Amino acid sequence: MKREDLIKKWLDNELSPEELKAFKQFEDHEDLVKLANGLKRFKVEDFDTDLELKRLNASLKNKSKNRNNWIKPILRIAAILTICFGSYYYTTTLNTNVTTLASQKETIDLPDASIATINAESSITFNKGKWSEDRKVTLKGEGYFKVAKGSKFKVQTNNGIVTVLGTEFNVKDRNNYFEVTCYEGAVNVLHKSKSVILKPGNSFLVINGEYIDRTDVSLKNPSWIDNESRFASIPLKNILLELERQYNVTITVNNIDEEQLFTGSFTHNDIDVALKAITLPLNLTYVKANSMIILESE
Amino acid sequence: MIKNLQENICDEMLFNTFFKKHAKDLHDFLHYKFGNHLNPKDKVQESFIKLWENCGKVKPEKAKSYLFTVGNNLMLNEVKHQKVKLKYSEKPQKHHTNESPEFLMEENEYMQKLQAAISNLTEAQRSAFLLNRIEGKKHREIAELLDISTKAVEKRIYGALKKLREDIKEI
Repeated sequence: MKREDLIKKWLDNELSPEELKAFKQFEDHEDLVKLANGLKRFKVEDFDTDLELKRLNASLKNKSKNRNNWIKPILRIAAILTICFGSYYYTTTLNTNVTTLASQKETIDLPDASIATINAESSITFNKGKWSEDRKVTLKGEGYFKVAKGSKFKVQTNNGIVTVLGTEFNVKDRNNYFEVTCYEGAVNVLHKSKSVILKPGNSFLVINGEYIDRTDVSLKNPSWIDNESRFASIPLKNILLELERQYNVTITVNNIDEEQLFTGSFTHNDIDVALKAITLPLNLTYVKANSMIILESE
Repeated sequence: MIKNLQENICDEMLFNTFFKKHAKDLHDFLHYKFGNHLNPKDKVQESFIKLWENCGKVKPEKAKSYLFTVGNNLMLNEVKHQKVKLKYSEKPQKHHTNESPEFLMEENEYMQKLQAAISNLTEAQRSAFLLNRIEGKKHREIAELLDISTKAVEKRIYGALKKLREDIKEI
């Protein structure tokens, strides 16, 4: 057997007794043994497996507390989803509100083909999400509605509820003044315990809680839509209030009977023309300073 | 062996058994390859923690080589091929009868030469050679640990021996 093979066998501790004898015949055999013994002194300090295992299990236990980390990202995702769904739900179920200031008009497309136009200093509130179940708007002030055919359409005001199926009508709900005018179809007005059905051309008027019966309307739509306010036997007080709303002015009266009835109209485009339209028939004069107007009898 | 284990070693009992079986080998391997200054014990801990964290992904038959690869990489991340200077015990293995001062001096000199020579071995040579010489591992066992052939182990060990003897003569 070759020398190299013998040494390799020696290295692997696989020498048979005869081979060992042969190995011992090598002149450098002493050197090899010395080397082998010297190497043994490099033995690593004892590795205590049990102790190390305990150490490992201790640190794994600590880690396992953190192993619940996967919950955190899931919670994060859940939070984001909640916020998304929440805000989606909130915005879709939120009431839509449109408000106009003085001398402002606004036309609003309602969720179906219905259209609402609101006059100055008015507001309308409705819910897009519930529209298909319940066509209901809450109105403050004055509004003109063109209602598409369909289920009941309700206009709720402080003074009463107006219910229709599909028609055109005007609702005016101001302080102590409640007027509903029907232009097409049929309108049911519920005021306090009084229920009235209006036919085209009919109007329902309550001033200071007093019902005034009349049938006078021959127009296709309310005059204010065409930038004109038209009145028939309406107390002057209400006319001046409307004038204030249309021009965003303050009107003071001196020695004038505000309860006197006025029939006529004023435009929304020119305040001087409007003032003249009111004052001339009633023999009044007016003084205008900025947004202050004083009315006096002649 | 490990193949008898189940799908993975996430089970605590199996994992502990696995630790007992391989922790010392891993430690010795890391120690002889990279030396003691990088704290092989801690690397063993870290390697097993990694294995535990990935126990679902590592197949049982791959667990051992996974472990050794992780341990090796952890070391490599820190070591920048600095010289490995292994420590040896101060007291000689065998007590000779003639412990004269000259003999002790010679002995000391020899150990220092040996230490230097060991440092000069390649990492591959050193780990295989010392596992064999010091831990008494068979070539076959080392081959299994390092995932190489027995022939390659033999070659490394014999090469290491040759190089050591040359170095010692030269120094």
